[in-house]
This record gives sequence, structure tokens and C-alpha cells, in this order.
Amino acid sequence: MYKLLLCWKYLRTRYLAMVCIVSVMLGVATLIVVNSVMGGFSTKLKERLHGLLSDVVLEAYDYDGFTDAPSKMALIRNDPFLSNEVEAMTATLEIFAMLQFNFREVPFTRPVRIIGIEPEGRKAVGGFAEHLVNPKNHENPTFNLDENARERFIIRRASRGIDFPGPREAPNLNEPPPPDPPPSKPHEPQGVILGYAIAHYRDRNAPADLVNKDVRTLEPGDEVVITTVSGAKMSPVFDRFVVSDYFKSEMSEYDSNYVFMPIEHLQKLRTMEDRVTSIQIKLKDYNKAPKVVARLRELFANAPLEVQTWEQKQGAVLAAIRVEKGILNILLFLIIAVAGFGILAIFSMIVVEKTRDIGILKALGASNGGILTIFIGYGFLLGLVGAGLGTIIGLEITVHINDIEKLIANVTGQDIFPRDVYYFDKIPTDINLFSVFLVNLGSIGIAVLFSILPALRASMLHPVRALRYE
Amino acid sequence: MAGNTFMYAQNLHKIYRKNAISTPVLKGVDMEVAEGEFLSVVGASGSGKSTLMHLLGSLDKPDVGEIYYREKRIDNLSADKRDHLRNHDFGFIFQFYHLLPELTALENVMIPLMIRSSVFSWLGNGSVARKRAITLMEKVGLGHRMHHLPKELSGGEMQRTAIARALIGNPALLFADEPTGNLDEDTGREIVQLLRELNEIDNVTIIMVTHNLEIARGTHRIIKLVAGHVEVPLQQHPEAFGVVRPESFDNLPEDENHPDETRRPAGI
Repeated sequence: MYKLLLCWKYLRTRYLAMVCIVSVMLGVATLIVVNSVMGGFSTKLKERLHGLLSDVVLEAYDYDGFTDAPSKMALIRNDPFLSNEVEAMTATLEIFAMLQFNFREVPFTRPVRIIGIEPEGRKAVGGFAEHLVNPKNHENPTFNLDENARERFIIRRASRGIDFPGPREAPNLNEPPPPDPPPSKPHEPQGVILGYAIAHYRDRNAPADLVNKDVRTLEPGDEVVITTVSGAKMSPVFDRFVVSDYFKSEMSEYDSNYVFMPIEHLQKLRTMEDRVTSIQIKLKDYNKAPKVVARLRELFANAPLEVQTWEQKQGAVLAAIRVEKGILNILLFLIIAVAGFGILAIFSMIVVEKTRDIGILKALGASNGGILTIFIGYGFLLGLVGAGLGTIIGLEITVHINDIEKLIANVTGQDIFPRDVYYFDKIPTDINLFSVFLVNLGSIGIAVLFSILPALRASMLHPVRALRYE
Repeated sequence: MAGNTFMYAQNLHKIYRKNAISTPVLKGVDMEVAEGEFLSVVGASGSGKSTLMHLLGSLDKPDVGEIYYREKRIDNLSADKRDHLRNHDFGFIFQFYHLLPELTALENVMIPLMIRSSVFSWLGNGSVARKRAITLMEKVGLGHRMHHLPKELSGGEMQRTAIARALIGNPALLFADEPTGNLDEDTGREIVQLLRELNEIDNVTIIMVTHNLEIARGTHRIIKLVAGHVEVPLQQHPEAFGVVRPESFDNLPEDENHPDETRRPAGI
């Protein structure tokens, strides 16, 4: 009982020990904030990495793809195991290309990746329709132009004097009749959905109070030319397209590279009808993905197809995130280790200061183990209080991190979190209670660990020498 | 006073060593104390009084010699058993009171009982212990100072608190190491009166170390230590090793009659 009483009394009366509490507190708070923000970034990044990829991807090894996707999908649908696990699937065709467009009369060319999709099917697999900027496309994604886009398209074409035939001349009866006039409706190129970052750029010189600093380079209805390669000979092919919508996943890699178009159109353009490069599969339960992958590999053992979950496909990036988080955690844990050395130093001082008290307790019958328990318990209490306060502060900072960021940015005039880097509106956070628990456990563990040495020293003190200590 | 031999020590030697220097403090001390006796150990500074008390109180071990308590040898007991002995059978009073500064007077008094209790047993018996501590605090005249910290108490009050602490475990033997050494004359006298009272009424055996002969004279018996030896040769006191009566000290003033009223501390 005396151990508990003395731990409590020492905690309340030794102001020197407050330094230990503060150092543990700061370490824990920092770890929680950094972990939560890293976790937030990681979760957001994972969501986005997953975003465009379905749970399981069946894909060809090269850009030529494979044939007869419908029969392969039918095979999957008819498999007794897979039929119960697959919620939706769709075929896609992916190829690199060059995109050309004019912005303010200046021609621009940039490399892109063209993804040929069947909009409804792609929507069913997920990670597509919800990222389209035009809300009408969320329910029924389409490549068709809406009214405004069509109007802009017509006006733009008209301004260039094409497609709208002029007034008819009087027929010359001596000449053969002219061919049929072109249709009165201008030929409308195929609509495409552009990655948001292809059609926009962030104006760094915009006034600070301007909410949307994005400058649009391509409006819906604007024309673009896409050049890619066709067939096995890789001969260049190109076509005119018109922008119908934007894809904004907030994943810079996707938003600045991807261009979606109907799969049939891409197949025709590349003269590779019936060929696709992948089949995207959405599962009812992602936890069963390894079994599904195994079954698919079995099913298509003889086909030149790669079967992977989205995580396997993004393995390198996900591993990088994990490694980054792990290393950061180790480095940050050193902060608490430093706090541990603080505890060691301060505890050693307290043991010296308390030498006579230790002698008194021993004279009154306290055992070595009892004295050891007092100081280890004291270390535990310091760790507990420090970690508790650190957790409260860490969670508070995490919850209000965006307000704090704004405040610091206002005070210092420095943009701490440049939103255009990640296309995040706010700093993402993800409080993982298990990691908060681990941080607490680790900090308390370190506090106890570093108090063992002074506690041992205290417990080994000879009662007479301790009583005579001046 | 005396009954059967309660504690005795034979041929106690104690040497303190620091680096290559050895300082013999006790050089073969024989002594005994009877149950219910109030024994004083006197001597000059460095004569080994406190060391003797530490050995007898099992705070330290002799280099040579044996100590028996209730016919059982205690100098070779394990640390655990010695801790138990100090907590259950012995009480200690020190010159510098040695109260724990973070605890109130009442908590200081309760500490020996806390040492022998686990948290759970304290939950059951804590209130009984508290009542006993309050009773003892009142007995030593500190009923009004129970919740004060040691730094808020006077020297006399701190020593009374230390006495209450020493008594709370119902010790059979009380060791008092210069209990008046840090107090003024009047307060010192009060403290000795209190100890005498405990000895006479509660039959607590007391071994008191002091360099103050006047204080020692109020006890049943005096042992004088000189340079690590009991001064009086053994053969002069075959019935009690090293024991001298107060009147046998040449340098002691004439024995005084202690009127009963002066032997009772006020309020006890």
C-alpha cells in the first residue's frame, strides 16, 4: 500500500518529474499527430490507388491485349466459385497516346494514357462514375456532350468556318448534279473524358482569397486530337475528339494522364476489334480476393494473362508507403527514447534526493523489492500521465489540424500545406485507435524501462548508509 | 523492570571499510537487554553507539559476533526475514526524526502498517489502522497536527510523530537513536518522559542511544561504550555483560530523585 501512496505523493510533489511528463507527453502527441496524418495520407492514397483499379485485374502482358473478352467473362460467370464472389466485371483497353489541343491559340502536346471502357460496366465495377465532374454522369456515365458542351462545340467549329456549308449556288444545268450536300448537323466527333489535371492547371499567382485557383485549358466541347498506334505494326493513327467531361479522382497520376473513351471506338481506331487489355473484376467480399485470384489463375492457366489484386498491382507503391510510415515511426519513437533518457537522468536525481527516505522505509521494514516497485511504479505513473496527456493533445491537434494549419499559415504567411500538390482540400487524417494504443504502450514501456536502473540503485541502497546520507 | 533475557549480543565486531582504509567501530561488544527494560547506551561520538544500535536493530550485519532475539539468532537472517523483524517486532526513533516529507504526520505514522499491507488488505484494514494511528497521535499529544506535513511541525512534534510511527506496529523492542539530540532541553526531557512512560505502562523494551548522561540516568541501566568496547570489564558484572548502574559512573552527577510528576509528559 505504501508503494502506491508514495508513487502518488511523488507524482504530485516532485515538480522535477513534470519535465519527464512533458517530454513523454510531447513525444506521444507528436507520434499520434504524425501517425494520424500519415495514416490519413496513406488511406487517401490507397483509396485513390484502388480508385481506378478494380479489386482483381485480369490483364494481358502487352498492349496487344487478348481476344474474346466476353467468352472469358462468361467462363468466370459460369464458374461455381467465382460466380458467387464476383459482383461485377468489365473489359477495358489501355494504350499510351499523344494528346494535342490549342489553348489560347498555342498548340499543346502531352503524353496520355487512353482507357477504352464501356461506361455502364465500368461504373458497376466502381471507382469511375463517382469521380466524374459533371454530376449528371454520376448516375449514367456517358461520353455524349451535354447541351452546353454541344453549343460550345458548334460555336467553336462555326468560328473556324468549317462544317457549316454556306448558301447554295444556283444549279448549273450543264454540269452533272453535285453530290448530296453534307448533313446539316455538323459531324460530331466522339466524346472523351479527360483527366482533370490535363484540362486544368493551378494558377500560383492567383489571389490568396480565391477559392478555386484552377485555370481551365479545355472546356467541355473543345476539340482535341489523339494520336496512338494501331495493330502489330504500331503504325500511328489519330482522330479528333471532343471533351465531354473530366475525371477527378484527386490522384495526381490518374488525373494528369488518363483519357477515357468508349472501348469500341478505341478498338476501331487501333484496328484491333475484339481485343482488350484487361478485365476488371469487382468482388462481393474483398477478403476473399486471394482465393479468387488463385481460382482465376487456375482457370486461365494456359492463357497469357496476369491475375492480380489491386494491392499486388500497386505493390511497390503500397510497400513504399508502409516502409515510409515504419521508418518515420522508428525515427519519431526516438523522441520518446530521448524522453526516456530524461527520465533516467531525473530519476537518478530523485533517487539521490530520496536516499534518506529510502533508508527510513527500509528501517521500517520495506523490502528491496518494495523500494524497486515504488520507483518503477513512479516511472509507470509518469509514463501513464505523460502518455495520457499526450494522447489528449495529439488527438485534439489531429482533429483540428486544418484549423491549426490555417492559423499558422495566417500568422506566418507561409502556405504549410500546398493543396495543389495533392489536390486535397484539407489535410487528411485517420486516427487509428490501435496505433494510438501502441504509442501509449511504447511510451509507458520506455518510461518504465528507463526507471528500472535508478529504481534498482534505490533498492540496493544499504539502509544505514541511506539513513546517514547527507 | 527486567525479566528474562530478551536480546543479547556476543562479541560484536564491526569494521567500516573505505578503499584501503579500515575503521573498526565495534571491537567485541557483549551486551544483553531484558524484556521490559529501558537501556541506555552512552558514549562519545564515534564510540560505536549508533553502529551497535543498527546491528541490534538488524539494519546492518556484524562482521563478527552473534545477536539473539527471543533466543533466536537474528544477525544471519535473510533480508526478507530481517525486513519482517524490523516491521513487526522493532520500532525505530532517530535523532533527525526521519519522517517522510511528502506525507502528513498521520500518514507517516501509518507507514509501518502500510508496509505490511497489500493494497487489498489495506482496503479492508485501512480504517482500523487509521483509527489506531489517530489514537497514537492523540496519545503523543498531536491530535491537532495530524494532517500537517513534517515541515509544518516543530522538532518536538516531529519526534513525537516519529515515536507514534515507531509504536504503531506494536513493537516489542524500541530503538531510539539520540532521540533528544536535535531538541532543546525541555523538549528532550518531554520526549524521554514519553519513552519512559511507554516502557512503564506499555512494557515496551527500549534501547536508547544517547550521549547525554542526564537523559540516560532516567533509564534502568546504562552501557557505556568507549572506542568500540563496553567500558566496564565483564568480570565486574558477571550477571549482566557490560552493564553498569548509573551511580557507578564517576563522572555522573549524583543520582537525582525524579518526582513522579516530572516523569509523566503532560497530556499522556
